[in-house]
Amino acid sequence: MKQSLKYSFSFCFLLSLLFVQAQEKTTTSTQQDVKITETKSTATAKKNTEKKSKTVQTDTLKPKTDRYGLIVGVDINKIARSLYDSDYKGIAFTGDYRLTKKYYLYGEIGNENVTIDDPQLNTTSKGSYLKVGFDYNGYTNWLDMENMITVGMRYGFSTFSEQLNSYEIYNPHPYFGQSPSIPSEETYNGLTASWAEVAAGINVKVFNNIYVGFSLQLKMLVTNSEPGNFENLYIPGFNRTYDGNFGAGFNYTVSYFIPIYKKKVAPTKTAPKKK
Amino acid sequence: MKKIIAFLLILGFASSSCEPDDICDPNTPTTPRMLIQFFDISNPSLKKNVTNLKVIGEGMTDGVVLTPTGIDEAKYVTNENNVLLPLKTDADVVKYKFILNYGNKNPLLVNEDNLEFKYTRENAYVSRACGFKTIFNLDLNNPFTLTDSSTSDGKWIQYAIVAQNNITYENETIIKIFF
Repeated sequence: MKQSLKYSFSFCFLLSLLFVQAQEKTTTSTQQDVKITETKSTATAKKNTEKKSKTVQTDTLKPKTDRYGLIVGVDINKIARSLYDSDYKGIAFTGDYRLTKKYYLYGEIGNENVTIDDPQLNTTSKGSYLKVGFDYNGYTNWLDMENMITVGMRYGFSTFSEQLNSYEIYNPHPYFGQSPSIPSEETYNGLTASWAEVAAGINVKVFNNIYVGFSLQLKMLVTNSEPGNFENLYIPGFNRTYDGNFGAGFNYTVSYFIPIYKKKVAPTKTAPKKK
Repeated sequence: MKKIIAFLLILGFASSSCEPDDICDPNTPTTPRMLIQFFDISNPSLKKNVTNLKVIGEGMTDGVVLTPTGIDEAKYVTNENNVLLPLKTDADVVKYKFILNYGNKNPLLVNEDNLEFKYTRENAYVSRACGFKTIFNLDLNNPFTLTDSSTSDGKWIQYAIVAQNNITYENETIIKIFF
């Protein structure tokens, strides 16, 4: 229930951001024009002449350029949880490198330290993870919008350790009374796991080069080194394990787009210009 | 765009509906009790029913529930040919009083014997919901000690043997008692 509330809240928030974006449309475009003319004087001078010649060629059609680069983000859900949840410390950085018009190379690196208090067990999992994959942007941007609605595939690796802090013995017939929780210092080091995941997400450009987005992931464990006489209850990056091999995850990111080069996408243009 | 949002919504609900399964299924084999079977001393291959047997752990006032369907006192006595006795998960020894013909009006028929079991324990992981269970291994040299009660009414248990030392499941006979 708590989870679904969290998701629906985030969803409403993001939808509201979409509206904000729609209203700001005109202002952002003018801002960009201003920025171009103001900052890079030499470049704009060259550009303006180019633009003029192009506008002559293509009548009223403004040449559209796609910006290529790297979107680096930080998972603020993990940071926020680190602040309010004393049993959690985590951080994750994401990166989307634009390969083609629709495809992005995706990478994520993170570290988590989670203490889980189950009714019968108290465990701490800590470790780092790496995810590599791609994102497909299924959203057709109008004009100079740069929003993303992505579907992606990733493969994740995690190396971690798990510590059993305390446990209880399940005794369905406690004639002599239920034995108390047994403290333990058992640590299982050098555990590894890898998984495949399908992700779907939204990344909205809220203002210049700043993105806010979230993504949901469905994961399937591929390899998992289980400790003897115990089980991996939480894998950093994969999150909580369930009886099957499936897991789920949630990212809420704030990202910054680092432009590297531009490509023109007007159909009449043949040679893509690199900057 | 609407399709993708709908897909995301479904995905979100699918992942949030994975509610934590934190309740231990009662059918999961967890900490076992020890199964004791009663046999006829004159015909050792034949199982024999006890009459109003009550089993009380040392230091306890109530008996072990032997007939879960029974009401009040009736649940502490059994007339079957087997009993399931819990072992201590925090000690390596447990002592039980076996009282035959419990509550009989003729005090001469009521007979009390003591059985002390020695074992080693091992905690084994079961699952996230169940945690750990304790499995037991009866001591190989000295698994049990049969003594008469302080009233010295003679032993009703004629003979007892260990059928199996490791107590892992409740459907495996551990001790055979002949009377």
